[in-house]
Amino acid sequence: MTLLLWGMVLALLIPIAVACRPSDVWHRLAAFASVATKVALIILVVSAVRGDRMLGLAGVIVLSAGNAGLLLLANLLRGAER
Amino acid sequence: MSLAALADHASLLLLGAGLVFWFWGTWPLLESRSYLSKLHALSVADTLGSALMLLGLLLRIPGQWPLLVLALVALILWNTIFGYVLANCSLASRLPVRREPPP
Amino acid sequence: MRRLLPLLLTIAFRLAVWCLLTADLSRLNLWIGLVVALLLPRARSRPLPLGELLRALGRSLLAVPQAYLEALRLMVGREPVEAEISEATTDGAIPLLVFLDVFRITLTPFTIVLGLEDGGRRYRIHALKPGPRHGGLTP
Repeated sequence: MTLLLWGMVLALLIPIAVACRPSDVWHRLAAFASVATKVALIILVVSAVRGDRMLGLAGVIVLSAGNAGLLLLANLLRGAER
Repeated sequence: MSLAALADHASLLLLGAGLVFWFWGTWPLLESRSYLSKLHALSVADTLGSALMLLGLLLRIPGQWPLLVLALVALILWNTIFGYVLANCSLASRLPVRREPPP
Repeated sequence: MRRLLPLLLTIAFRLAVWCLLTADLSRLNLWIGLVVALLLPRARSRPLPLGELLRALGRSLLAVPQAYLEALRLMVGREPVEAEISEATTDGAIPLLVFLDVFRITLTPFTIVLGLEDGGRRYRIHALKPGPRHGGLTP
């Protein structure tokens, strides 16, 4: 399980590196969406390892609310670029 | 007893498969490919890989199934629709003249 | 019945999410969930054909195993080529059916919906096709 968590954190580093790199805003937005999903999954796995229900609830809320904010941001960006 | 061990092994297998999907699908972000092919790869990684991981967690802690099922539904719905919105919005900003109807 | 169906579906969906979130099936909690589901604002709905809806739901569920098959093919297969195709909508006038269609097409890794065209009658789809065989069949 510890090995798995290390692997997940390593996979999380890839989109973070992409998001820090100066590039097109849409590439960065896709990278941020990836970060949001991966962080939520890491929270869920940690909650499973520790047997903590409240942590799992936080993970589920991040999973369902974090992407909604990014979705609104994408719509806003499209409106701003037009 | 052996059933619990079997579930444990199956959940580890699912979690590992999800991790493989993550790495395979996230790696194209670092390369310089077209934006839409990156989105295709991300849908593999973030939607399908994460769903595999959630299934693995479901086998590991079956007591928490309401929460995990909610997470599974939210993940698949949001990520899929988010891929569509990203593709649609980026295309609309990148090629503003192409979709003009011909006179 | 057709007019009542959207209302019932919305309420049932909200109640199901409430029960999953609270993980509690006691009578008091069910009543609270029902009140919350009724009080949240609803979108203006129009009559919904039940048969079409069930068929679209079934196809969306079938798309999940198909998505895994396509993901495996994408991983082990050759370098795919990109293409742009279009597909007819089942019914462009009903938002829920359009939503289910977009979900079904975008879920599979080979295809992403780019948008509606032709006044909402066709989807514009970006697709990956498996690359040419080593025999040299260039498209």
